[in-house]
Amino acid sequence: MQIAVTDRHRAAKPDYGFLVPYWIHRIVILLAGMMVFFSPVNPGRILKQVNENASLFTTAFSYENIATQLKSAVSRGAIEEADIRAVMLGCLIVLVGVIICAVGGCMSAGNIRMKKRGILFPTLGSLVMLGGLYSIWQRYQAVYTFVTENNKTSRATPITADGAIPPSILAFGIVAALILLTSVLLILLLQRKKKEDRMEMDERYKLFLMFLPVLLLTFVFAYLPIYGWRFAFFDYKIGDELSGSNFVGFHWFQTLVSNEATRSDIVRVLRNTLAMSGLGILTSWLPIAFAVFLAEIPSSKFQRFVQTFTTIPNFISWVLVYAIAYAIFSTDGFINSFLTNVLGRPTSTDYLANADHIWLKMLLWGTWKGIGWSAIIYIAGIAGIDQQLYEAASVDGANRFQRMWHITVPGLLPTYMVMLLMSIAGILSNGMEQYLVFSNALNKDVIEVLDLYVYNIGIGSGQIPLSTVVGITKSLVGVILLFGANGISKLLRGESII
Amino acid sequence: MTNKSDASASAKMHATRIKKSVGDHVFEIALIVLFSLFTLLCVFPFYYLFINTISNNDAVTSGLVNFYPVGIHFTNYQNLLNASDLLSAVVVTVVRTVLGTALMVLTSAWAGYLVTKQKMWKRSLWYRLLVITMYFNAGLVPWYMNMLMLGLTNNFLAYIIPGMVAPYNIILVKTYIESIPASLEESATIDGASTTKVFLRIILPLSVPILATIAIFGAVGNWNSFQDSLLLMSSRPDLYTLQHRLYVYLNTTSNLGAVMNAGAGGVNTAAAQSLLNTKVIKYTVSMVTIIPILLVYPFMQRYFVKGIMLGAVKG
Repeated sequence: MQIAVTDRHRAAKPDYGFLVPYWIHRIVILLAGMMVFFSPVNPGRILKQVNENASLFTTAFSYENIATQLKSAVSRGAIEEADIRAVMLGCLIVLVGVIICAVGGCMSAGNIRMKKRGILFPTLGSLVMLGGLYSIWQRYQAVYTFVTENNKTSRATPITADGAIPPSILAFGIVAALILLTSVLLILLLQRKKKEDRMEMDERYKLFLMFLPVLLLTFVFAYLPIYGWRFAFFDYKIGDELSGSNFVGFHWFQTLVSNEATRSDIVRVLRNTLAMSGLGILTSWLPIAFAVFLAEIPSSKFQRFVQTFTTIPNFISWVLVYAIAYAIFSTDGFINSFLTNVLGRPTSTDYLANADHIWLKMLLWGTWKGIGWSAIIYIAGIAGIDQQLYEAASVDGANRFQRMWHITVPGLLPTYMVMLLMSIAGILSNGMEQYLVFSNALNKDVIEVLDLYVYNIGIGSGQIPLSTVVGITKSLVGVILLFGANGISKLLRGESII
Repeated sequence: MTNKSDASASAKMHATRIKKSVGDHVFEIALIVLFSLFTLLCVFPFYYLFINTISNNDAVTSGLVNFYPVGIHFTNYQNLLNASDLLSAVVVTVVRTVLGTALMVLTSAWAGYLVTKQKMWKRSLWYRLLVITMYFNAGLVPWYMNMLMLGLTNNFLAYIIPGMVAPYNIILVKTYIESIPASLEESATIDGASTTKVFLRIILPLSVPILATIAIFGAVGNWNSFQDSLLLMSSRPDLYTLQHRLYVYLNTTSNLGAVMNAGAGGVNTAAAQSLLNTKVIKYTVSMVTIIPILLVYPFMQRYFVKGIMLGAVKG
């Protein structure tokens, strides 16, 4: 009975005159939601002294963030702290308005009764937004008049030179007006619809809305950073503004190859990266050897003992690995005191403060930390190999090493192939933590890998555009390598690794 | 064959079933010696650090503590409690570990459950968008600028919120929940239980093993966190994590001891051999950072092993 009803329902022609305004309405609300986190459209940024990277969301909540830049303006009497508070309050009101709109947007997925109730929220929310924006605009005008009359514009520079409405307020205002407009239109359209007895929502949309917070977090922390790629196209230092005047197009991309100093840096860093990743890949069979030989020891107690203690280093951070390296190899570490006090050969060499064989040393630390853990997967793999194979092989006269080589190792190869392909795909990303903690003035030229280089030039010396360019290139090459590895895996094993 | 005891048991079987020659015995003994040496290599540094933190500080400074403790005392640990920056690092790290892990586990459970729902509108699209984030990131500097834009620099929330959605863990939970018989959920739905109720009453209790596994990994990750502290907390040293604090100490060449002994204000400073010095402080802070992991590790080892196995079979 019910199925028949739904079928007839589906067969009916969709009511575009009703659905299209709804989609516009939802998209505008979504836009408002995104603008909240978007720093270029921050209505709270009424003065150029306010951090250019602060979004409406930040302005509404973090006094610290917007006030630090205004400290000098406040202390010179160019602006009062009450003004800052008022702007923050305005931002908070706008934010509340957006949240109310969002609630309505969610309810719009329900049945007609729920839609009728839900449409009231954006109507109210957009009015709240407009109210908040109006209060900021008022405050902006007051501040503008004050600073221009008192010639304080150098301390507190209004965002628009002529005191016109700031673009960010305008942008939010347009969005709020659009929400209001579509809401009113939809209220009129909904008048003609018959409403049900109860508020209900299709299961499909209910599930989606439940999942929405997870998606939003993913968007904000994993996709929104892509917006930061814009710095690659500007001549930018922290605190600057992005505008037409410092737009440099692909200048920084060209710098990578045309500027001699940068190019030699890149070559050096790439060599370090590839060398250390390459050494890691060349020794990636070590965990297999570890597992295969460990399995040859007849005592399972001993096996478990070894496993337990060799996996511990995997769970300590690289800072702690360095702490251990310090305790063992530094001037007054174990090696020196052992030589001095136990063997009676006084030395005080700092084994960490040199650049000799640093690639090899890094490989050894990595192996020390990771081999026990990496072997676990192969140990389980060995347990999964059919015992009859071993029996049949020994009946046929295979000795221990032949059994290991012809049965155990081939049994582990599929797993190894996956691991190998993954490490090839990640050849450029060897992380920065290990190399950061072990780096010092003497070895920094040979230890600096790509990730560390990005950190050093970006965060360390503030070359935001150049480090962004390197990061973008690395990300893109990484994606290509991953798809390449995946393609090879599909070709060879008929299975994808991602 | 997904846990370690199975692994060792059957490995043993195939080793003992076949007759051994003298050469076999020699080979096995050689292996035992080699593996013992490597195990020692993994354990000794921790032991060495520990004996140096509980020995007479003068003996430590002269490098006399190599294999066994000399003049055991525990005042170093007591004295370090007076170092306020260390204490705040401990508090920050503990709070972040507890809160961050709990929120991450709840989010993973909830998201992992929801993505098993075929009915969800555009489910595969959302799921794919989630999974892609494991393999792709915009880069360090854009990430940093994003955090700046969100106001998450010099802000404790930066330790908690970004870690809540962990795609890999969501996949683990999803795979696990898919292995739970669908009939359990169906019967509850027929009885009129809502999605939330099914999640709380049926899915959550049944997924405890996988949740414990990701909780352990999450907790270790939070405890070991260093990079976010280094990048984001530059003007709030009171929000440094323990690892970051240790990193700062390790790289300090000035006399850490003088500052701290002065700060101690006469507590336990009567005995000269227990006076803190730079080397002892570095060792003791390292120990403070390692001990929780070493304490938790033996109990949690099987969860760790289970975790890597689940990761290996994920589809």
